[in-house]
Amino acid sequence: MATILVVEDEKPISDLITMNLKLVGHRFFKAFDGEQMQQILEQEKIDLILLDVMLPVMDGFEWMRRRRHPGVPVIFITAKDSLADRITGFELGADDYIIKPFEILELLARINVVLRRSVKEEEGFLAGDVEVHLQARKIYKSGQLVELTAREFELLEVLIQNRNIALSREKLLELAWGYEFEGDTRTVDVHIRQLRKKLGWEERINTVYKLGYRLEAER
Amino acid sequence: MRFWQKTLVLMLVLFVVVLDVSVIMIMNKSWRLNMGREQQRAASDQALIANNIYENLNSIKSRGMRINDTILLDVARSYGEYYRERGISLELSNQGTPIYAGPSEPSARYISVTNELPAPYGHLQLTYRRDIEALYAGQDELNRYFVYINCISIPVLAALMYVLIRKLTKPLQSLADSTKNIAEGNYGKRVQLKNRDEFGELARHFNRMADAVEKQVTDLSAMAEEKQRMVDNLAHELRTPLTSLQGFAQYLNAAHIDEEERITASGYLWSETLRLKNLVFKLLDLSVLSHQPVERNRIPVMELFESVRRMEQANLDAAGIELILEADIPAVWGDRELLESFLVNCLENSIHASTPGSEIRLAAYEQDAAAVLEVSDSGRGMSAGHLERVFEPFYRVDHARSREHGGAGLGLALCRQIAEAHQAQLSLSSEEQKGTTIKLILQLHNNGLLT
Repeated sequence: MATILVVEDEKPISDLITMNLKLVGHRFFKAFDGEQMQQILEQEKIDLILLDVMLPVMDGFEWMRRRRHPGVPVIFITAKDSLADRITGFELGADDYIIKPFEILELLARINVVLRRSVKEEEGFLAGDVEVHLQARKIYKSGQLVELTAREFELLEVLIQNRNIALSREKLLELAWGYEFEGDTRTVDVHIRQLRKKLGWEERINTVYKLGYRLEAER
Repeated sequence: MRFWQKTLVLMLVLFVVVLDVSVIMIMNKSWRLNMGREQQRAASDQALIANNIYENLNSIKSRGMRINDTILLDVARSYGEYYRERGISLELSNQGTPIYAGPSEPSARYISVTNELPAPYGHLQLTYRRDIEALYAGQDELNRYFVYINCISIPVLAALMYVLIRKLTKPLQSLADSTKNIAEGNYGKRVQLKNRDEFGELARHFNRMADAVEKQVTDLSAMAEEKQRMVDNLAHELRTPLTSLQGFAQYLNAAHIDEEERITASGYLWSETLRLKNLVFKLLDLSVLSHQPVERNRIPVMELFESVRRMEQANLDAAGIELILEADIPAVWGDRELLESFLVNCLENSIHASTPGSEIRLAAYEQDAAAVLEVSDSGRGMSAGHLERVFEPFYRVDHARSREHGGAGLGLALCRQIAEAHQAQLSLSSEEQKGTTIKLILQLHNNGLLT
């Protein structure tokens, strides 16, 4: 996955974001102010910055104005939800803008959207004897190519990108089928069954009581 | 219709009517006088002529001649001829039958008098007619002149009046302009009018009203701004703990995690809940304070200080700070709980700003007929820029540190409210790296200002 720099002065929020990033397999660095952020950027190869606007000393907007790291996409995180701020954020070249309080799933989804635009090479996802190359849309089980329908593949992609997090059937419908899909949640069950069978993931795709499904993976 | 127009028209009409009526009455009187004079003159002339004719007839009679119509005609004609050149025509008639009639222009206006001749010629009437065309002509001339004078004097009068009225009502115009300007919302504008008359008075009163309005508006907008800032800040303050609560709850609920992560996440749930609770309670205190009158009791200072020390002992020990109590006055008047809360808030700020091993001093003394409660530390201090805004709700000098201690950023705002509730003054002085001193200046119980 990607290496993400989380710049956030509120420890709880910083931990919340990084704990979730860890779940879905992203690497991360924490910075609590602009100075630490600068240091990390100089030493590490960062794919994406999550930047809080309200930072001590120099705020996120100010940092963006003097930015010395072009090419690293930035998502602003802020408690200010005024339109003016949002416009400022985008004018300064932010790739996205997310407002507190945010849904973790939404944050992850937006991170994926930005990464998909910028990250060129993607490592495959490995789980047991299954190897998934999302960008090449190829799945191998014990070295054998597995054929998936387009819908099954979408569903698999959503599960992998939100791995270790339980997703409700409704959420899965929304993410893999799209908002406009007038589907029944049983559609999800059918596709999950197919995936489990084709990939031998009966144990790995876990049915979480009262919640939905979760793809369990090493962290 | 504008005021000046009304005034001008009314004055002009009044003036012209009064003047013209007077002139017309005078002319009328003079006409009557002239006519009267003419009448008298005509009467006396007629009497004179009648008498002459009578004398003439008598002398003819005395010469033994009979008076017949021919003689009468001769006599009358001789007079008629004579008087004709003086614009007078005569007529003699005998009991209504004309004997002699002088030439007369029929159209001409004349004055005529008819009378019998003295006896024994009572059967004869002499009519005297004089042409008074000249009188009429004179009168017509006067009338024309009157109209002509009117045509000239009314415009002149109107012009003079216009200038005068405009000049008099000029202050009214400038007053109207400035008031319009103020009414449009430029509350800083004032009427520039230095007249010593009613206009000046009106302007002064108006300016005083504008002062009051401006002050009100400024106060209101300042209050509204502060309220708005407070709401904005509150919204901002709520977002962070809410984000954590929502996120960690979801994390615990849906993520596939081990024990260690569960403890971290639930720990955050707990601490953020406490922070929210803290915030809500402080807000409640604030709102209660602004609506409730405070009770005032005599509070022994030492008791107050000791109870504050008891409350903060754990924090003092943890930070390795010694608290020094100095009470020069035995007691203060106020609400015990509020004053405790004031001291505790200030003390906590001081503890957070101090380094281990330093001292914090609580003091009570008298100064300028007021009782002063003072908290002073030798801690981090703050710059002048912070001093102005530090009493605003949610204003933090050091964000990170304030949060670390779970502060809601409302402590000093609460202190300000407590001071206001006691009608006391607050004074804050601070120097960076030297320390901070905060004073609550309470009125002494014996200076009679306690209500």
